[in-house]
Amino acid sequence: MSQSVTSIIIRREYMERVSKKSFIITTILVPVLMLILALLPTAIMLFATGETKTIAVVDDSGIILPSLESNDNVRFIDAWTSQENMLSNDSIYGVLIIERNILKRNSGLKLLTPNASSVSIESEITGQINKIIENEKLKAYDIENLDRILNEVKTSVTLQTLRTDSSGEEGESQSAAISSAIGTMLNFLLYMFLLMYGSLVMNSIIEEKNNRVLEIVVSSINPKSLMIGKIVGVGLVALTQIVIWAVIMFGISTLLLPAIVPAEMMAEAQAINAGSADLASTTMDTDLALALGMFTNIGFVMKIMCLLMLFLIGGYLIYASIFAAIGASVDNIQDASQLQTIGIIPIFIGLFSSLAVIADPNSTFALVMSLIPFTSPMVMMARIPFDVPIWQIAASLILLYLTIVLMIWIAAKIYRIGIFMYGKKPTVRDLIRWARYK
Amino acid sequence: MLLQVKNVSKTFTGHQALDSVSLEVPRGSIYGLLGPNGAGKTTLIRIITHITAPDSGCVLFDGHQLTAADTSQIGYLPEERGLYKKMKVGDQAMFFARLKGLGKQEAEKRLRGWFEHLGISDWWNKKVSELSKGMAQKVQFIVTVLHEPKLLIFDEPFSGFDPLNAQVLKDEILRLRDLGATIIFSTHNMSSVEEICDSFTLINKSHNILSGKVSDVKHEFAQGRYDFLIEGDTTALIPALMPMVESHSFTEAEAGRSLLSVKLNPGVELRDAISAVNAKSTIVGLHENLPTMNDIFISAVNKANEK
Repeated sequence: MSQSVTSIIIRREYMERVSKKSFIITTILVPVLMLILALLPTAIMLFATGETKTIAVVDDSGIILPSLESNDNVRFIDAWTSQENMLSNDSIYGVLIIERNILKRNSGLKLLTPNASSVSIESEITGQINKIIENEKLKAYDIENLDRILNEVKTSVTLQTLRTDSSGEEGESQSAAISSAIGTMLNFLLYMFLLMYGSLVMNSIIEEKNNRVLEIVVSSINPKSLMIGKIVGVGLVALTQIVIWAVIMFGISTLLLPAIVPAEMMAEAQAINAGSADLASTTMDTDLALALGMFTNIGFVMKIMCLLMLFLIGGYLIYASIFAAIGASVDNIQDASQLQTIGIIPIFIGLFSSLAVIADPNSTFALVMSLIPFTSPMVMMARIPFDVPIWQIAASLILLYLTIVLMIWIAAKIYRIGIFMYGKKPTVRDLIRWARYK
Repeated sequence: MLLQVKNVSKTFTGHQALDSVSLEVPRGSIYGLLGPNGAGKTTLIRIITHITAPDSGCVLFDGHQLTAADTSQIGYLPEERGLYKKMKVGDQAMFFARLKGLGKQEAEKRLRGWFEHLGISDWWNKKVSELSKGMAQKVQFIVTVLHEPKLLIFDEPFSGFDPLNAQVLKDEILRLRDLGATIIFSTHNMSSVEEICDSFTLINKSHNILSGKVSDVKHEFAQGRYDFLIEGDTTALIPALMPMVESHSFTEAEAGRSLLSVKLNPGVELRDAISAVNAKSTIVGLHENLPTMNDIFISAVNKANEK
């Protein structure tokens, strides 16, 4: 009987929240916003590289102009030989004046333009001229085969990290940069959910206590079942939200990405997943290739999703029970602000240690923080993109779920006493006393 | 007896809320649970409704030890009560009905019946935040009695009601009693105790200091108070009556009569007093002067506090 009564509580809690406008809006809007944020830089790049700016050059030194290279962004023309009418002509972006002794002074460079100057144009000009002057200065040393030497000296390395397992074979290709990005994202996701849904449980209990519905509800259901029903109900709401988000994200990565990413890039990404292609042979940026490989690797996405669910549920249950106990003890939200820190501080510790852990995911500190149940959900999720040994994940989960049982038990004891305490702002000592009360 | 509370004690961190309280509620009666604020009434009710457990003592419900399953046979309307503000009235009533173990269809059928009975059918789709306090109280009342429990506990049920709706509610409570429910009624409103309670207990500072049938206790507290309606001259009366009474007072009544209120000394028989009065004047009327529940409440509590 008490089980079915708990399910009635869960049902009400769930339906009440899921049917709220704010829930529906955030659930749909957040992935859309995230998508826009992700695509914004690309979009801006696409639109920004529109026209080529023409710059007329007055070169008194006589050595810069011949070496200036026109490209998609800037076209350099000689002001003297050009037929175009300077400044009055709309097609000219500006006039660049180079003084005679520029080699010695590093100054004497002026850009006259009726337009607002742009950083990209300025850096394009100074970048090119810096190189030209450097080359000219090197030439002054009269070294043989200088051009060839300079070409040989130019370097750009790519680093490919291959994880070796105990058998000594090469594992999957991994990029620390991508793993860090995913780790940080997962970490923030957990942080956001724990804080958001933890305080939702707290506020909902405070509201019930404050308007005295609780008095009526507890005459039909025991306080422990009520508290658990509430935590589970709000938790299901959180789960619904994250599942909807996951489905949207999953849809994007399996349907939208192949559709918008050029076919040859996808083919390369898939070849990397299959292990048949070597990163060194790709034509695109190695990080981009790896990122594409990861997001289109269904096994990897599923593994992250499953572990995310387990740690999210575990972390939620721990913090929801802490916040439930706090919510039951106070009369209104103002009174809760102090006690709330009991729940907020460990979440913040988890958040900040994760950021440190991402920098060094295999340190002892990382291992310890990902085993301690209050920080483990966040820290472990931050580490998982870096491939954590399975026994560590298992140990972390076991510790986490054992602690949940303990926390719910303690929270229920505090809750049972707290919901009937009015008028006095409780202290941490009061909570401890209530927890020990028979 | 539907409910027996035996030597129940309860201590909250340093504060004794109940100290060996016992009471017996006869089946089919309306039982008043009275006492000053903070006396321990709410704690006692929470023990009876199985919300909190007593430290010692026991509660027998319908002859057996009270268990969690019995809560489906109890309806409790708390003094401080509220509803979920954003829920619709109908949904909310259904939620509470289902919590009490009623099936979906049965719950809806009974709720529709009650809503119609109290003339609030058009509230079904309203949000609770649109209701006035009195309206919300009606919904809470329905939710309390809907599952037809054997024991109903009302804590200050009339607060927030206008006199008209208070009367409607009073009639409903009496009707439920006639249908066989046993009712515990906690209030500070002593005149309503006099009107509807059969017996009561008075709790003061975690002890019950006075229990019994309302009529019995009233006679007990009368303690030789009588009102004589007298015709004619009363001056000769006083000397004859003085040795017999603790106190007396005269009030002018209509048609030259006067009302003599006396309190007899302990041990003085009523008929001796009548003889004394009769010897000096004409007695037109005589009745025992019963104290109101209000008087009883005040004198009992004061007496207990003096100790």
